[in-house]
Amino acid sequence: MQLLLDNSWILLSGLRQTFQLAVVTLACVTVVSVLIGMLSVARYRWARIVAICYVEFFRDIPLLVNMLFVYFGAPLLGLPLSPYGAALISLTLWGGANGAEIVRGGINAVPRHQTVSAVALGLKPWEIFRYIVLPQALLPILPPFTGLFANLVQATTLASLVGVTEFFRIGGIIVERTTLQEGHSPAFLVYGFVLVVYFVICSLLTALSRRLERNLQRRGGRVAQVATPRESV
Amino acid sequence: MSEAPVIRVRGLVKTFQGVRALDGVDFEVAHGEVVVVIGQSGSGKSTLIRCLNGLVEPDAGEVLVGGEAVDTHSQADWRRLRQRIGMVFQDYALFPHLTVTRNITLAPVRTGRATQAEAEELARQLLERVRLPEKAAAYPAELSGGQQQRVAIARALAMRPDAMLFDEPTSALDPETIQEVLDLMRELARDGMTMVIVSHEMGFAREVADRVVFIDRGRVVETGTPDAIFRNAREARTRDFLAKIL
Ligand SMILES: Nc1ncnc2c1ncn2[C@@H]1O[C@H](COP(=O)(O)OP(=O)(O)OP(=O)(O)O)[C@@H](O)[C@H]1O
Ligand SMILES: [Mg+2]
Repeated sequence: MQLLLDNSWILLSGLRQTFQLAVVTLACVTVVSVLIGMLSVARYRWARIVAICYVEFFRDIPLLVNMLFVYFGAPLLGLPLSPYGAALISLTLWGGANGAEIVRGGINAVPRHQTVSAVALGLKPWEIFRYIVLPQALLPILPPFTGLFANLVQATTLASLVGVTEFFRIGGIIVERTTLQEGHSPAFLVYGFVLVVYFVICSLLTALSRRLERNLQRRGGRVAQVATPRESV
Repeated sequence: MSEAPVIRVRGLVKTFQGVRALDGVDFEVAHGEVVVVIGQSGSGKSTLIRCLNGLVEPDAGEVLVGGEAVDTHSQADWRRLRQRIGMVFQDYALFPHLTVTRNITLAPVRTGRATQAEAEELARQLLERVRLPEKAAAYPAELSGGQQQRVAIARALAMRPDAMLFDEPTSALDPETIQEVLDLMRELARDGMTMVIVSHEMGFAREVADRVVFIDRGRVVETGTPDAIFRNAREARTRDFLAKIL
């Protein structure tokens, strides 16, 4: 316990790094998700094909492989990336693929007659999307998006493998240092603590997601439901 | 002086996956005329009325709005014309996330037909007219089916259309609320609105229609005054249909 208290400052800085990475990623993921989600329901075939290829590709490769590929591949293209930059990009590519599916579900859940009656009123396609479809898609995608955020927080642990000193990596550093200095390994204690922290954060987010979902259900027919996809890291 | 028909179509053909929904339809509505379209389920009534404002793109045939030929494949062309043709659907399809007032003002404001203030004033007048002034700030879910349908009519009227299309506007309503919607449509007819109405309400059709059009298997079988159709139909198919539903 003393060990954790002694290291509380760097543990906190690791936690901050984890959150910072997760939140910045979430912002980027939201943008990518909406763009790809829109492409996936676009009128043009080529747009839908691009979206499907993107989503399938990034959902079907392990996130870790994706991250290492970005980290070691970028310098070959003349773009050396910091560990943080590589983690941000690969997490965004992965989260965007999962988020796009959520957005697509949300858009598809808006009944077709909504679009038809907006068309009949003489509104333009972008106006229909902006004023009719998007606002109705937004509420039902909120719970699955909160769930996606929980998955992103978990996925940030992989960033430690390209050298981002986030919470999980800090735990590893403490274990190594203490083992060298004191000759015995506090791995169980430290990783146990790390586990509890991730568990608390993610279960809170999951609970929030459930709650949002229940609130939406209580609104009854007002909004459509979107199934929460289960992502695997 | 003969005025050009508000809407006129010639030789409309539409096939859905091998099903001939329209098989060479000629149809027109004169200014101020009320036309009621009747026919069996699947005979092509909805397809026809949707061709009149471009929601369905016909495979062949021409559409003229106010005497002007429409490029039926150009959505931009249609968008301009739709602002002159209001449409009311069976399932009312109000926008559930917007208040009644916003439902009515959205299109006039977005299409530049009115400023926000003008549109709101117009919405107030229209809600008065459809007898729902107290629902201005309500959401559609708080309204009964008949009330929602009346708001949908107000929403279409807010574009100040030259003609209104109704596709079975009372079919999804509870029997108690059907009358309030029919009453409103009667008033519109009396005020001289040009209307095309697909309806199964034969009593109503007989009363408001200037002309009744009977469609069967994608073709106009017979057209005439309500008396001519309901009492002395010439075609056996018309008489069979009427015998079944009256
Ligand atoms: N979008 C579509 N896709 C495939 N087939 C369609 C479509 N719309 C209509 N049809 C078919 O075209 C034919 C005419 O349909 P339409 O909806 O115009 O009939 P209707 O007279 O309005 O019938 P109802 O009284 O049931 O509303 C039917 O056989 C229908 O199945
Ligand atoms: Mg129909």
